[in-house]
Amino acid sequence: MSDILWALFHVCVFPGGLFALGFALFLKGLDRRIVARFQRRVGPPLIQPLLDIAKLLTKETLIPRTACKSMFMMAPVIGMTGMAACAAFIPVPGVFDGMYMMGDLLVLFYLLPVPAIAIMLGGSASSSPFGAIGFSREMLIMLSYELPLLMILLTVAMITGKATGIGTADFSLLNIVQYQIHHGQFGLNPLMIPAFIAYLMFLPGTMGVPPFDIAEAETEILEGPMLEYGGPLLALFQIGTAFKTFVVLSLGVIMFFPGCLGDFWLVNLFWFMAKCLILMFFSISLLRAVTGRLRIDQAMMFYFKIPAVLAFISLVLVMIV
Amino acid sequence: MAIEQKAGSTFNIPLGPVHVALEEPVYFDLQVEGEIIRGTTLHSGHVHRGMENLAQHRNLIMNQTLTERVCSLCSNSHAFTYAMVVENALGIKVPERAHYLRTLTEEIKRVASHLFTLAIQAHLCGFESLFMHTMEIREIMQDVKESLYGNRMNLAFNCIGGTKFDLDQECFDFLEQSLEKFMPQFREVLDIFETDPLICARIQGTGILPKEEAIRLGVVGPVARGSGLNIDVRKETPYAAYGKVDFDIVTRDGCDLYARTCVRLHEVLESVKIIKQVIRDIPEGETRVHMTHIFPSQAVARSEAPRGEVIYYIRTNSTEIPERLKWRVPSYMNWEALGVMLRNAKVADAALITNTIDPCVSCTER
Repeated sequence: MSDILWALFHVCVFPGGLFALGFALFLKGLDRRIVARFQRRVGPPLIQPLLDIAKLLTKETLIPRTACKSMFMMAPVIGMTGMAACAAFIPVPGVFDGMYMMGDLLVLFYLLPVPAIAIMLGGSASSSPFGAIGFSREMLIMLSYELPLLMILLTVAMITGKATGIGTADFSLLNIVQYQIHHGQFGLNPLMIPAFIAYLMFLPGTMGVPPFDIAEAETEILEGPMLEYGGPLLALFQIGTAFKTFVVLSLGVIMFFPGCLGDFWLVNLFWFMAKCLILMFFSISLLRAVTGRLRIDQAMMFYFKIPAVLAFISLVLVMIV
Repeated sequence: MAIEQKAGSTFNIPLGPVHVALEEPVYFDLQVEGEIIRGTTLHSGHVHRGMENLAQHRNLIMNQTLTERVCSLCSNSHAFTYAMVVENALGIKVPERAHYLRTLTEEIKRVASHLFTLAIQAHLCGFESLFMHTMEIREIMQDVKESLYGNRMNLAFNCIGGTKFDLDQECFDFLEQSLEKFMPQFREVLDIFETDPLICARIQGTGILPKEEAIRLGVVGPVARGSGLNIDVRKETPYAAYGKVDFDIVTRDGCDLYARTCVRLHEVLESVKIIKQVIRDIPEGETRVHMTHIFPSQAVARSEAPRGEVIYYIRTNSTEIPERLKWRVPSYMNWEALGVMLRNAKVADAALITNTIDPCVSCTER
């Protein structure tokens, strides 16, 4: 019984649920402030993303007459719940060990594309031509970044698996964290540096920020799949995106820099949050401030040429050494 | 069978009439196959204001105000060319100082207009920081306009027979200071536009308008000059003080978006060169002569607006109301080129390509 209660706590309060949502919205607010400073603007208040969602929730839901109604309503729910479940698997080093599963990294890998799939479903259900274009673009960009991601996760699992002697690969996030705490962080391991760079390149693609904001390009296809969404449904999409921000940034931290500062859980928690923030600054904010948008074909070529090759190099190095 | 399948795989995407990528309402119906545009249909007429008819119900002086409102970004070019066409028809000799002042005004407007287009181009590429940066630099020129003429967009500076008021040395000093502040910042932006790999990846090789097509369609302004055509009214038939200042026509042979971007960027440099010469060489004297009498006559005037050649035609009778006032704007000539540029382009580039002719819907439909 208490197991179930604990599981609920992890899904709804920490690290998933409230904590993940609050932290991700704070990160988003900070991201907007940082980019505004780069552009010599003041930027919105830090609380703005939360206010946006609160406002959207009070608005009316409009569904296009030609849309497939059930799918149109389900898509944001699928995206949001998929990511909310993901967030509960994230171990916070020194604070929380994750939900003890053998293959939670694999579960994450399967759940990570869920928001993208939700966007595709919503876009195609909206019956808007912009949604259709957004659908095909989202699918192409997803197919391009999933390959490097798979190789990165495999590399991390293999280096842990080799060391802990479980076998060829260890997909337990807890073991990955424990191994790094005792044997040095992967981000400082020369074998893993290409994989880390590839992960940095994966982040803007999966978060849909420039130069990879192709599926929702406002000036080309008017937000594409998001065009017909408004009110609470759009708010659900934004909550889903917030969870996703938390999941992908935390995954980056726990795979490459999970180190702790001491034994006190509060210090470790803040240290973890600070690392997420630094990761976001380099892979999302800075990139958003200094780049324009690529075309979908250019983005695909980029992912197949650079992150995929970098991740492959790490994979091969880890297999050989 | 294959053809049927193909027909089934195309669908229509509306670009406009209200679209974030367009500043003004115009409606493109794009027939799209996947991400490739196979055909374009243009529907216009959303902002028709009946201006030519209005002009035939107002007297010559009132029309000065009307023509200024044809367009916003090249408002000065319309008022300027209108003043010239009336002067040509009625044989008014404009004082030399007014010629220089008009040249100065036109070039300040050109810098602001080109920077606006370039900023929008950055925005369409999704490069928000560059958009902000370019608009911030443009703000220097807007400040100049506000300080010198009292207005940021419609300057209301030209009038029949010269200019409405004179600019004193204090104005020129301020202008020179502003240019000193402007140039280093502009060179920075120029460098980004010309060399930034992400911008170049988007604009190099897209929106191609071959030289032969450019000649066939009779395109004007930076669109023509980006396709290697060496045309510029300022050089061909110098008006105002353009015959007395030294500047070059900027041309590029690339025929793509990149070439047109470069043309605009370097034209800003040429404009600054002209402004500096005008400040140096401007003679003293009157700035306006008065219109004494109106007689039946007709005339044409041409000028180079930021978007290309503007032509005004007027026919007067003995009354103060013109019998006919007709003008042709650059965007009208450049519209047709969109058909060529958009053919087989990617949907992603449609907005960028539309922006490259710097479309001015309000003056085309007037």
